[in-house]
Amino acid sequence: MITRRSALLAASGLALLAAAGAAGPARAAEQVVKIGIDASLTGGDAQSALLVKDGALLAIDEANAGHVVPGVKFEAMVLDDGTATAGQYDPAQGATNARKMVADHNVVAAVGPQMSGVGKAMAPILSWGDLATITPSSTNPDLTDPKFAQQYRPAGKPIYFRTVATDAFQGPNMANYFADTLKVKSVYILDDTGAYGEGLANAFQAQAEKKGIKVLGHDKLDPKAADYSAVLTKIKQLNPDSLYYGGVLQAGVKLAKQAYDILPHEMPKAGGDGLSGPEMLTAVGYPANEGWYSTNASPHVTEDPAAQAWVNRYKAKFNVLPDDYAITAYDATEVIIDAVRRVAATGKPVTRSAVRDAIQTGKVKTLQGVVSFDANGDIEDRVISIFQIHHDPAYPADDMIHQFKYIGVAPQS
Amino acid sequence: MTVADVYLQQIINGLSLGAMYALLALGFTLVYGILELINFAHFNVFMVGSFVGLGVLRLLGVMPGAPALAGVALVAVLLGTLIVTMLAAGLLGVAIERLALRPLRNLRGPAAMITTIGISYILLNVVLLSLGADSKNFPNPLPSWTMPVGGAVLRLREVLIWLVSLALMAILTWFVQFTRLGKAMRATAQDAEAARMMGIEVDRIIIAAFFLGSALAGAGGLMFGLYYNFTSYIIGFTAGLRAFTAAVLGGIGNVPGAMLGGLIIGLIEALGGQLVSASWADVIIFSILVLVLVFRPAGLLGRVAPNKS
Repeated sequence: MITRRSALLAASGLALLAAAGAAGPARAAEQVVKIGIDASLTGGDAQSALLVKDGALLAIDEANAGHVVPGVKFEAMVLDDGTATAGQYDPAQGATNARKMVADHNVVAAVGPQMSGVGKAMAPILSWGDLATITPSSTNPDLTDPKFAQQYRPAGKPIYFRTVATDAFQGPNMANYFADTLKVKSVYILDDTGAYGEGLANAFQAQAEKKGIKVLGHDKLDPKAADYSAVLTKIKQLNPDSLYYGGVLQAGVKLAKQAYDILPHEMPKAGGDGLSGPEMLTAVGYPANEGWYSTNASPHVTEDPAAQAWVNRYKAKFNVLPDDYAITAYDATEVIIDAVRRVAATGKPVTRSAVRDAIQTGKVKTLQGVVSFDANGDIEDRVISIFQIHHDPAYPADDMIHQFKYIGVAPQS
Repeated sequence: MTVADVYLQQIINGLSLGAMYALLALGFTLVYGILELINFAHFNVFMVGSFVGLGVLRLLGVMPGAPALAGVALVAVLLGTLIVTMLAAGLLGVAIERLALRPLRNLRGPAAMITTIGISYILLNVVLLSLGADSKNFPNPLPSWTMPVGGAVLRLREVLIWLVSLALMAILTWFVQFTRLGKAMRATAQDAEAARMMGIEVDRIIIAAFFLGSALAGAGGLMFGLYYNFTSYIIGFTAGLRAFTAAVLGGIGNVPGAMLGGLIIGLIEALGGQLVSASWADVIIFSILVLVLVFRPAGLLGRVAPNKS
C-alpha cells in the first residue's frame, strides 16, 4: 500500500537521483580528495604562517592544474589554530581543528601544524582518526619520540611526519656554533614558556654546558607581557658573552626591540626557527634586528639556483618571497600528493590508512632533495641552517631571502 | 654595572611601567567611584588608543624608520598626537556608555559588568579583523637621547612618559578638587541620590567620568606605543589586568590610590624580575595584592564607603 508519505519520499528520492545524474558525468570521473592545512594564521606568527600555508596551496594548485593524479581533484581545508585570546598559536584550537579534519572523510592527510605546542594537542586525535599529517615546521622532538608513543600516537602507527629536523639537532647544533665559531664563553638563556620554546632552550643549554659554555641563567618570558626590561637589565648586569632565546615571535619581537635598547649591540643574540619569520624584519624593524642569528631545521633552498623557477612561481602567485618553511610546506604537500598517486595507481580506494602507509614508505624527490622518513616519522636528512639578519637596503625591507643572510650549516656534534 | 646601578636602572624601568599603569588605573577608579561598575572595556579602549596614536603619527608623516624630529616640530607632533588620541579615546568611552551601558543602568546584578567584557571583546576583534594580527612597528619621532645616571641609563622616552603622566594626573587632581564639574563628580560618588536632589545632572557626571577615564587610557596607549615601539591588538590584556590590580591595591574609587597602586605594581614588576625571576613577577604582584586586601580590604588608601550601604 502506498501511503502519501512514502510516495513523497519516493518522489524526493527520484528528484535527488536526477540531480545527481545531471551533475554526474563531470564529477564521476573525479574523486575529491581533501588535504588539511593547519597553521597559526592569527597572532604573533601570522606572517610566517601565511608563507607556510601558501606553500602548501601552491602544491595543491599545481597538482590539479597538471592532473598529476588522474581522476583525483585535490582540495585544501585550511584551518587556523591561532586565537585572538592567545595572541598566537592556541593548542585548544589545534585540537578542535584536528577533530574537524578527522570528521571529514574526504580528508586523507594533512600539512601542519606550524607549531609544536599545537602538534602536541593534535597528534593523539589524529592518531585515533588514523589521519597522517606532515609538519613543515614543528620541531619539538617529543612528538615523534618513541618514548612518548603512548601519548602522541596512542593508536599505534606513526602519523606525525616531518619535512624538517627536530630541536634535538637545532638547539645543540647552534650551541656548537656558539662554542666553535663565535667562541663565546658564557650565555644567558631565555624562553617563551611554550612547548617549542622550552624544549629548544633546554636542548641548547644541555649542549652548551657540555661544550664548556657557562650558562649564567635561564629565565622565562611571558609572551603576553609587553615589558622585558627587568630581565634584560638583569642580563646586562651579568654581562654574558651571548644571548639565546627559545621561542616564537610574540615574545621574540618585543625581546629583540628591547634588547637593542638595553644590551650591547655587538653581543651575539640568537634564536631558533621561531625567529626566522618576516615579523623579525617588519615588526622589529631595522636597526634593532641587526645581527640577530636564527636557524632553520631544514636545508637552505630559496637561494638554490635549481629552486629559482619555483621561487618565481611563488612570488608571481602570492606577491611575496617565500622562506625555507614555505619550501618544506610545499615539499610536505608534494609527499602527500605522491602518496595519493601511488595508492590510486594500484587501483585501491584512496583511504587515510592507505595514504599513511604510502607516506611512510615514500621516497619523493622534492625541492630540498629526496624526502623519506624513518620508522618514527622523522625526516632522514637532518640539516640545520644558520642565518643572520643584515640589512641590505638594495632589497625590500621584508625580503626574507636577502635580509636573512645565509651563514651556513650548523656543526653537527 | 654595580649592584646599586642595577637597582637604580630597575627603579627607572619600574617607574615608567608604573606611570603607564597609573594612567590606566585612573580610568577604572573614576568609573567605579561613580557607578560601582568595573569597566572591562577599559582594557581595550587603551589598545584602541595606541592604534589611534599610530594612525595620527602616520598621518603627520612620521613613519617607522623615519629620522627623529627635534625642537618645535617634535613638541608639536607629540602634543597634537596626544590631544587627538585622548579626544578619540574619550569619545569612544562616551559612546560605550551611551550605547551599551546606559540602557542597563537600572538593572541590578552583574549585567553591566558582563556587557563591558563583551564590548572589550568586540573592540579586540574589530581591531584584529580590520588591521591584522601581526604586531605593528610603532613610528618613533623621539631622538635617541640618553643620559647616564651613575651606571644606569635614563632615556628620553622614560622622561617623556613620566612628564606626561605627572602632568595629566596633576590636571585630573585639579579638575576633581576644584572645578564645578569635579566637585559634582565627587558629590555623585558619595551619594548619587542626594546629588540628584541637589540638582546635579547625574547623566552628565557619568559621561564626564567615562570621557576622562577613557582619554587617560588613550594617553596611556600612545605612551605605550612610543615607549615600546610596537603595538598589537592584544596589548590591552596584560597591561589592563595589571592596572586593574593597581586600582584595587590603591583602593578602587580613590584617585590618589590609583596612582600609588600603579607605581607600586610597576616597581614590584621590575624589582621582582631582578630579585627572583621575571617569570615569577605575576606571582609576586598578586601575592602582595592578596596580602594587602587581607589586612586592608578597601585597599591602601581606600575607605570602606561610609556613605553607602
